Amino acid sequence: MRDVATLAITLLAITLLIVHTDRETAALLRHLYFVPVAAAALRLGAVGGGVTAAVAVLLEAPRIFAVIEQAGVTPPAAEHLVTFVALLVTGALGGRLAWYGETQRRRFETLLAVQRVLAEEAPLDVALDRLRACLAARLDASAVALVVREDERLVVAGGGAVVAGSLAAEVLATGVPRFVPDTGRGSRPRRTFVAPLVVGAEPIGVLAVERTGELPVSERSALATLAAHCGLALENARLASRQRRFAAELAERIASATAAKSSFVAIASHELRTPLTALLGFSELLARRSFEAAEVRRMAELMQRETERLARIVDDFLDLSRLERGLGLRLAPAAVAVAPALAAAVELFRRAESHRILLEFDEGLPAVLADPDALDRILKNLVSNAIKYSPAGSTVRVTARTAAAASVEISVHDEGRGIPPDALPRVFEPYYRAPGAAGAARGTGLGLAVVKSLIEAHGGTIHLESAPGRGTRVTFVVPAVS
Amino acid sequence: MWALEQPWPPRRSRILANSPLALIATLSAGWLAVAGLVAAGWLIPTAVRVASITAVHGGLLAVALTWAAADTGTRLPPHARVVIIALVAAGATAAALDPRAAIIHLAAPAWLAMLAARGRLAGLGLGPDFPLSPVLIGAAIGGLLGGHLLVSASQTLGHPLRAESWTPLLGLWAYDIGANVLSAECFFRGALFNRLQRRWSFAAAAALATAASLVRYLADPLLPRHVEVTAGALFYLTLLGAVDCWLLWWSGSLVPGLLASLLFFLAYRALATG
Repeated sequence: MRDVATLAITLLAITLLIVHTDRETAALLRHLYFVPVAAAALRLGAVGGGVTAAVAVLLEAPRIFAVIEQAGVTPPAAEHLVTFVALLVTGALGGRLAWYGETQRRRFETLLAVQRVLAEEAPLDVALDRLRACLAARLDASAVALVVREDERLVVAGGGAVVAGSLAAEVLATGVPRFVPDTGRGSRPRRTFVAPLVVGAEPIGVLAVERTGELPVSERSALATLAAHCGLALENARLASRQRRFAAELAERIASATAAKSSFVAIASHELRTPLTALLGFSELLARRSFEAAEVRRMAELMQRETERLARIVDDFLDLSRLERGLGLRLAPAAVAVAPALAAAVELFRRAESHRILLEFDEGLPAVLADPDALDRILKNLVSNAIKYSPAGSTVRVTARTAAAASVEISVHDEGRGIPPDALPRVFEPYYRAPGAAGAARGTGLGLAVVKSLIEAHGGTIHLESAPGRGTRVTFVVPAVS
Repeated sequence: MWALEQPWPPRRSRILANSPLALIATLSAGWLAVAGLVAAGWLIPTAVRVASITAVHGGLLAVALTWAAADTGTRLPPHARVVIIALVAAGATAAALDPRAAIIHLAAPAWLAMLAARGRLAGLGLGPDFPLSPVLIGAAIGGLLGGHLLVSASQTLGHPLRAESWTPLLGLWAYDIGANVLSAECFFRGALFNRLQRRWSFAAAAALATAASLVRYLADPLLPRHVEVTAGALFYLTLLGAVDCWLLWWSGSLVPGLLASLLFFLAYRALATG
């Protein structure tokens, strides 16, 4: 209002000055009108400049038209008319150019602001809220909303949910910008424009702008460009965020792998050293001293057991190494009677007499199609685990029954300490040992990983149920001979 | 937000939807009947003038009221359209019988003011309250254009101010307030421009509404027929129409535009040719 008042006073002052001077001076003074016209054009744009020029022409017109009415279009009158044209052109064109420059400056600032907002790392909904606030402050709009598709859901900033059949849903589906000239009932029309946020040819969301007042074609076109820019910036931010998350996960995995490797080296050294120490000790004794035949046999049996143990560990390492290199396990499947295999596997542990081992199986169990050595390793590994992690004197139950789909289900159930629920998903991972397991018994953390691989190599499945203090049941299913 | 929560596309009606066609037909038939009776010599020629004012201004006001009520969902009093036509007819008849009775023309704006005070004319931009600044700006623009008209008409064309008695001048002013300006602003700005701006841009809507109002003035048999007066009228009425559209768009009220037009016509009637 102050600008308009200043312009009005200036125009009136120039008019009064011209009216109160002689004709020749007035001819010069009329060029003073260019000052408020140019000022209005620069300050208020094309409309302001044009209106100011029109008012200047209106104020000056009665003098020149009276002259033209009396003497026709004389050279001074023609010059006067040219001044009118120049005033109008200055006001309208100058204002238009000033407006264009200002608009371009604002657009670039908006793009920069969008870039800055999305450069900050934040979850999508937070980033969208920030972007919406940034745009609402710069677009001179009554309402601004952003909708972005993330997987199967729509994240909305600046509005409620997107209703099926709404303008936003239509633009999201087609990727074509839409304009509705009026969506309200106020005295001024409420213009609504929705533009897609596009990445490639795919609409990933929409920018919706509602304005009470004008929303001309040029501005709609700029909004569509801004929406495309926002789409790209959002996608870049999303990719950058994903990359950062991936890098963090990778670093975590590397740290975890390094820790696992260190732990493995320590465990493996310990596990290998224990049987080696026994072998070394007994072999030295046998080499240096003479023993009775019975004592020699006992020592030989102990050395054999430790050698077998060493061989199992080495076999586990070799199998795991093959699996990690993507090579399959070498199996020689044959029909194996389940009951004798179970009996043979538990026999060694029964002799230790530390636990009660119950063997239960259905009559008429079908033979399974398996590598006999591999099946033996599986059974011994599971029974050995059950004995290691359950108190002496407790019962280990080994059962076998015919399962559906021509297969046999074998389970090993102990009454041990159990496995914490959060460790269950990881028990089949190589080198992983449940919290507290290392203190309870020796082991490399490879047993269950190898068992799982062996069972899967036979086309079977394995699962584990456990609860702290209530024991653990490991059940696996292998195909029967058809 | 509408774009997210409302069904699309929105329902759109035609520009001339909800027009009281029966009433317009009746007014046209009435005017033709009066013109026929005057041609046959059964009525005095003044009757045509009364019938024209009633048909044109009464018709425009009736259409404006109907559109505004339909567009905003407001309810008008029963027979509101008939009442406004009757009031315009009463003013025209009274003015024809005695110039001093032209004051009856003020009955129509008084009745509309009463409706506006009750919030029934919000669709036309007439409500119980109106913004002061736009009203002052409207008055300034009307005064500026009117003053400019007086200066340029006297300096350029040598038209003097009216030298006769005040009675005919007051009658013309009453006609402008109660029929001419009132119907033009209510219909061309309050109703037509309002509908057009909801479909197209402000510039297009203002251009069309102003062009329509110019056609109405050019077709008015009561305007002076001199070329220079017609050209001048076109120039000023174009400016006035555009400014009135902007005032309505900017302020949401029809009052600033009404005041601008009234002040301009006040000056125009003061000219000997007005």
